[in-house]
Amino acid sequence: MSVRIATAPRVGWPYTLIAICGVALYLFPIYWMFTSGLKTSAEIFANPPTLIPQNPTLEAFAHVFARENVLRYLRNSIAIAAPVTILTLVMGAMGAYAMSRLRNRLVDVALVTVLMLQVFPEALLATPMFIIFRALDILNTFAAVILATTSKTLAFALVVLRPMFRQVPIELEEASRVDGCNSWQTFWRIVLPLMRTPLIVVGTLAFVQAYGQFVYALTLMSDQELQPATVGIYSFVGAEYADWHRVMAFSSVFVAPVIILFLIMQRKIVAGLTAGALK
Amino acid sequence: MAKAQQPLLYVFLAIPVTYLVALIGFPVFYNLVMSVQDVNLGNISSMIRPFIGLDNYREVIADPSFRKVFINSILFVGVNVVAQIVIGLSVALFFSREFPGAGLLRGLLLAAWMLPALVVGALWKWIFATEYGLANAALTSLGLVDAGVHWLSDPRIALTSVTIANIWFGMPFSMILIAAALIAIPRELYEAAALDGAGAVARFRYITLPSLTATLLAVACLVTIYTMRAFDLIYAMTQGGPLDASNVLPLLSYQFSFQQFKFGIGSAIGTFSFVIVFVVALVYVRTLKKEAVS
Repeated sequence: MSVRIATAPRVGWPYTLIAICGVALYLFPIYWMFTSGLKTSAEIFANPPTLIPQNPTLEAFAHVFARENVLRYLRNSIAIAAPVTILTLVMGAMGAYAMSRLRNRLVDVALVTVLMLQVFPEALLATPMFIIFRALDILNTFAAVILATTSKTLAFALVVLRPMFRQVPIELEEASRVDGCNSWQTFWRIVLPLMRTPLIVVGTLAFVQAYGQFVYALTLMSDQELQPATVGIYSFVGAEYADWHRVMAFSSVFVAPVIILFLIMQRKIVAGLTAGALK
Repeated sequence: MAKAQQPLLYVFLAIPVTYLVALIGFPVFYNLVMSVQDVNLGNISSMIRPFIGLDNYREVIADPSFRKVFINSILFVGVNVVAQIVIGLSVALFFSREFPGAGLLRGLLLAAWMLPALVVGALWKWIFATEYGLANAALTSLGLVDAGVHWLSDPRIALTSVTIANIWFGMPFSMILIAAALIAIPRELYEAAALDGAGAVARFRYITLPSLTATLLAVACLVTIYTMRAFDLIYAMTQGGPLDASNVLPLLSYQFSFQQFKFGIGSAIGTFSFVIVFVVALVYVRTLKKEAVS
């Protein structure tokens, strides 16, 4: 025990204090986003800027809701993110389960294919997708953006879920088969319930990725009525002059669900990410 | 494994793999085809277009803006890889000590990485605003600069600014991966080394670093892949400007395709990025395999 203390010193509360200050400083830009949204038009252009809003107001929030169609943008973002999440979970669970159970060269080839396909930048896939979806006549629909985005989240889901499915003991499945379950019933009643937590983590991450999707929405849809919040925020900051308190209010409303999901799921997300990227 | 279960498993395997091949593999192939064709707005809908050999590639290589953007991409990716690994490793080492709340506080940093890249870009554009931005206010009050820095409109600084924003965005993810590998190093190694009289520096040099080699290589590959796809963040901050000062390959390709409608040129630029990420992905997959074996 004494050796252990000598090599891994229990450094205690002073380190906690340093860590709190460091983390707070690192995440200060996020604080800045929320508080900038609470400032008045006069205060946002104060020099030097005020670290704490002097007259906090919801004016900017009210403005973006009333004038910038924030609700429509958010609805569109969710209309894209929700189907992506479902498609990702369904196909991801099937593929990861198969990869964890089959052991032959075909699976190795499939896994390497998935790993290789996940690396191509979206902005470069956008042009061929534009042409393919144009041929299929689904440009300017949510379907185009949903299909395109799922290709990104699905590859990620397969990589994260495969090691998780491996942890389900084969004996459990064999037992269920002895009890007369066919392979579908075994998957549905025995394996999936055990995978609840990993599936929730992957579903959350897929949702967050699809919710923040920008490139495919920008390129595959030109109808402004259909655009998600990312494109809405972009059209706001793209201008030479920006009403920063309003941009930040819009951004705050948009990312609030992401931050809340993250805070609830933090521990599980960290575990899921480390399992997926390096195993 | 009972034979009876196999057919269903093959169906399960085929569905997602087919999906990915159709929606990523085919577009990658189609991009290669377009890069040797003359593609413009007139013939984009028809599948029959004139093949022009390597003309698009010749035009791309002769274009001075391409060379500039190519170098930008190398710098942007290179600095990101080094910075994210050095900072990520330092932060992970700090949090590997045992103090109350270490795990929770380390995890909280990931909040930055969870944000949509476009929002991160918008946020840093505001922080880097010349007149009323936080960055200039902080630097002037500390006396580090006299007048406001033109973070995003000065061609000499714009690439640095988007690099800083991207390091902030990506570092927590790199750090979490490194931290997980740090935890996996057996305690006994350190105990034995301490008994042999190895100091902190020697333990880091001869135990920590060698144990992390595979992880750091994998993280370097992942950062390269993620940084090569940076689009939203730069698009929101500078759109690649001024004068391509902060432009990178995917963004340049997009601009040729969707703003100038020179799809063939855009695809040829895309091929350069594809080759880079493909090679890095090969290294990454090999690293994973080695780790799985050991």
